[in-house]
Amino acid sequence: MQLKHIDRGGALVAIAVMAGLPLVFDSRYLMGVLTVAAIYGIWSVSWDFMSGLTGRENFGHSLFIGVGAYAAGFLNTAWGVNAWWSLPAGMLAAVVFALIMGIPTLRLKGPYFALAMLSGAVIMQRLMLIFWEYTGGEEGINGIEPLIRSPLHFYWFVLGMLVLTVVLLGGLARSHWGLILKAIRGDEATCQAAGLNVTYYKIASLVISAAFAGMGGALYAHYQLQVSPQLFAVVTSITIITMVYVGGMSTIYGPIGGALLLTLMTELLRNFGEWRLMVYSVALILILFFLPQGLVAPTWQKIRHRLAGGQP
Amino acid sequence: MSLLSVRHLDKRFGGLHAVKDISLEVQQGEILGILGPNGAGKTTLYNLLTGFIKPDNGEVLLDGQSLLGIASHKVVGLGVARTFQLCRPFVGLTVLENVMVGSLGPRVPAVDLEKRAHRLLDQVGLAGKAHAPSELLSYGDLRRLEIARALATEPRLLLLDEPFAGLGSGEIAALSDLIRQLHSEQGLTILLIEHKLREFMQLVSQVVAIDFGQVIATGTPQDIVKNPKVIEAYIGKQDTDYAA
Amino acid sequence: MLEILIFGAVTSAIYAMLAVGFTLIFGVARILNLAHGSFYALGAYGAYVLTTIFKVPLLLAAPLVVLGVALFGMVVERVLIRPMRKSQLAVLMISLAVSLVVEQALFLIFGSEYRNVPSFIDQKYVIGGVDVAGQRLLTLLVAVVSIGGLYLFIQRTRLGSAILAISQDPEAAQYMGIPSDRIFGVVMAMSAGLAALAGIMAGPFLSVQPSMHLLPIVKAFAIVVVGGLGSIPGSIVAALMLGYAETLVAYGISTSWTEIVSVAATLLMLVLRPAGFFGKRAAF
Repeated sequence: MQLKHIDRGGALVAIAVMAGLPLVFDSRYLMGVLTVAAIYGIWSVSWDFMSGLTGRENFGHSLFIGVGAYAAGFLNTAWGVNAWWSLPAGMLAAVVFALIMGIPTLRLKGPYFALAMLSGAVIMQRLMLIFWEYTGGEEGINGIEPLIRSPLHFYWFVLGMLVLTVVLLGGLARSHWGLILKAIRGDEATCQAAGLNVTYYKIASLVISAAFAGMGGALYAHYQLQVSPQLFAVVTSITIITMVYVGGMSTIYGPIGGALLLTLMTELLRNFGEWRLMVYSVALILILFFLPQGLVAPTWQKIRHRLAGGQP
Repeated sequence: MSLLSVRHLDKRFGGLHAVKDISLEVQQGEILGILGPNGAGKTTLYNLLTGFIKPDNGEVLLDGQSLLGIASHKVVGLGVARTFQLCRPFVGLTVLENVMVGSLGPRVPAVDLEKRAHRLLDQVGLAGKAHAPSELLSYGDLRRLEIARALATEPRLLLLDEPFAGLGSGEIAALSDLIRQLHSEQGLTILLIEHKLREFMQLVSQVVAIDFGQVIATGTPQDIVKNPKVIEAYIGKQDTDYAA
Repeated sequence: MLEILIFGAVTSAIYAMLAVGFTLIFGVARILNLAHGSFYALGAYGAYVLTTIFKVPLLLAAPLVVLGVALFGMVVERVLIRPMRKSQLAVLMISLAVSLVVEQALFLIFGSEYRNVPSFIDQKYVIGGVDVAGQRLLTLLVAVVSIGGLYLFIQRTRLGSAILAISQDPEAAQYMGIPSDRIFGVVMAMSAGLAALAGIMAGPFLSVQPSMHLLPIVKAFAIVVVGGLGSIPGSIVAALMLGYAETLVAYGISTSWTEIVSVAATLLMLVLRPAGFFGKRAAF
């Protein structure tokens, strides 16, 4: 699928709306929600790039998020490094862990890979608690400096990083990279027999996915101004997977819509207090049953079709 | 020098001695047929030649270069392509995309991938189905896709594994013509495993007969067919006393 | 030393009950059921509700709860899991979602404080100088009897043979006229019932709160991976290994490292020998 003018137009409109919303509704609260939604967008898009395209669902994405965030936290507080180094540091930390976890586990079959990655995240969460003297334990690391003082400008920066993520990963997905990853999903052995180094592509896509997740983690650290072991929790990974399902697997852009929708829904449900997670989980079940293609991407496809006057 | 030189290839799977001391030579530009009953070790031989599995003993030389220890995807990169008995398309990709994936190897010249893929589909007779989902193809078309995908890697040596299996006579004739064309027009060296003897005999110039993992005879098609060991392998001994 | 022996045995017993059910449903239906921990939790909470709120005697409440959870398991399988069976990952997601729903429901109804599940036996015994609660010893006994009973059932009865057949080759079993789908439901019920029983027995001395399903499922998965997916004897051996490993770590190093033992074991096993010690592709 090539990018048509409609897609570019739609994207520009979406970006403009996203950037303009805080200006229209002068609300600190809304800006906070949108910032979080954008960061979740980065996480979801990065997950979709690897797991959506290859079909190897990674249940431990929170590992990369957490190490990215903690890297930012350590650098900024314990070592007093300028906050701008957090982004590359977060990416690097995540890449290292992607290699450590990915190389031994990528040859496992679907569910086992998923659960092996999950185990990695769980172990990391535990380790953060066990070594509380260094990591701050339950409380984590506090007192992280904001990256950009103005919340509005920070939001625009995050939005910019989200756009960068989609452009880069979307571009890769449309290139022969995406073709190979989808072929790996189709039939790994045949892919190998066609002369492609399947192992390299699996690991590389996991590393790329992790890099962006780690970057998002670093951004999150500089937004929340604190990091805690909760970042490694299963809930984080499952939330992201839900966002991708809602947005549309393997579309790369769909998950952004999923992230937005779910983040907004979470906020709206704040009134429901403790019922939130329940609604979430039930929603996940319903989506798995009735909307396996997701909500956002198919809707956009329909709109696109109409706008193009019925021509694809 | 032969294009492919196999010397004393040997492979066991636990108690099963699948390939026993097989040696053969394939000359540049010939079509070599491999004959043998089911379970003789033919597909295992292909797996050994392409690096899918490692032999216990022996040597495989492509143009003088040893293929042993080279990863299977790199073997393809050196110019050896194969098809499988069970054609597995890349589910979720169109026919065209399937072939494009095959075109991503190191031997392919830097050209427009899509154009090249279209050309290959034309060559195998799948031109009209370029944008069809590959998992919906008929058996015969899947075969063609397999071949197109193999050709996409720009091979020097093509290993075909029972390409006629399950096809009707019309399809077999068409595929047979295609193979002949690949050989005569492109000078492709071809190894052919096949049971459909009539077509097989018309395509190949030399035959290697295999049974129980061993080479039992080599020669021209005419010689092989008359060879008593080959007949025994397929049909059984002439004067076997079944009552005994 | 004797302390470790006894407590390790009790821990292993509980884990074995959980792992055997988990491996059973996997061996038969190729389902990695992440909601398995919920059956355990529901068993404990069920016993709590019946005895404390409805004042039903424990001896009557226990079988009722086991049956109730078994039924629940059957319903979950039929309604939520069976339609998703074409994709192992979808089943994984759905069962995880179910476990989250159950956890949230328990949290909303009962809050997050620990609840008290009554014991069958209140007295303590002294074995070789070690104080052991009678309930723990009873748990050990119940585990041995229930697992033994399950194993005999599978080996000796017709239904058991059907289960074995399906686990080896689901398609062929269907050609033989074995109703695979219905049997999946039965096996899920057995699996759930066993987990619920573990919850009832262990409830009195292990924590009963809404998120109690998480660790057991992590450990059951660890055991099943180490022992070999689909192998009951493998699960028992691995349960012993894990139970003792944890007890040793708890006594030797500290309790906070115990969770890592199982998760790390899982990871290592998956990486080094995915089939586990006794795993085969199919039957147990």
